[in-house]
Amino acid sequence: MSSKSQAAQAGQALWAKMPKANAELFALTYGSLVTELVRDYEDPIEVNAQLDRIGHSIGVRCVDEFLSKADVAGMGLTTQCQNLRDTAEVVAKMGFKMFLGIQAEVGAFSQDQRCFSIYLQDNPLSTFVELPEDDPSGGEDLRRLKYSNLYCGVIRGALEQVNLKVDCNIVRDTLKGDELNEIRVELKEVLADGAGDDYKEE
Amino acid sequence: MSSPILFVIVGKNEPLFEAEIDTHTGTTGGNDLSTRQNYFVLHSALDLVEKSAWTTNSMYLRVVDKVNHQQVSTFLTAGNIKFMLLHGGKGEEVVRSFFNEVYGYYVKLSMNPFYKYDTPITSLAFENRVRAAARAYLC
Repeated sequence: MSSKSQAAQAGQALWAKMPKANAELFALTYGSLVTELVRDYEDPIEVNAQLDRIGHSIGVRCVDEFLSKADVAGMGLTTQCQNLRDTAEVVAKMGFKMFLGIQAEVGAFSQDQRCFSIYLQDNPLSTFVELPEDDPSGGEDLRRLKYSNLYCGVIRGALEQVNLKVDCNIVRDTLKGDELNEIRVELKEVLADGAGDDYKEE
Repeated sequence: MSSPILFVIVGKNEPLFEAEIDTHTGTTGGNDLSTRQNYFVLHSALDLVEKSAWTTNSMYLRVVDKVNHQQVSTFLTAGNIKFMLLHGGKGEEVVRSFFNEVYGYYVKLSMNPFYKYDTPITSLAFENRVRAAARAYLC
């Protein structure tokens, strides 16, 4: 479909313009962040929640950068996303490409068109990472840790800024033995455009 | 012919990794007595490793000790972790290539944020890679 390849091409062009960082440094920084969180909170479920919150902050800022850069470059956003499918394409082909340089695929749209999946073949955050084996002495079960949960937060935060309330979950993870990483995104509701209660007229 | 090869990684205070490779079958093996003897030989060579570390500025320390018909070769990583190999007279270049390959795997392992430096290595992937390298180079 032409919109797909348009998004992919736009993503490629945006990625070319972004300043780059060393991939190993990036992965190691994220790794130390996660291990520090694990040391502090100990419970992997709590760590997942914290990663989601951190991702949320990042996403809220990423979406502004994305929209401004894409606008300036004058590419692909002349038409707004008409439906969730377009949004999914933009997030995967342009968003992930622009910030991480990776090619993400979308798929598995649900019947009611309110859910979709993003597939990541390689995950730059989990370079060199191996989840430790279960600790038989009853230490934290790190199998329940969602190492890349940051992505879920980023997607949630970014889409929240454009009035789409979504729930994101990692359903397949290469660190746990699956062949690829899959993030399931479900649209909860489309928020009404508004500046929030604080600014309502008295 | 089937002289077992013992590979040990020693950290600051304790051994971090041990693998006994039987050249004949290419797997773990060997009876208990000779295994214990081999460990003893390797650990007693540690003092000699310290000594010869000061004589050269390369990481590969070649053969540091000879006991009966066996030799102990050592490789020092940049962080002073010692890779020691107890073998029955393998060529120096072969041992050097083996050590370099294991060093590569060790560096990748230490990049894992969940692996704490200078702690025992429990990763199965690492063990499999080391055994494969041993089979490739030393058998």
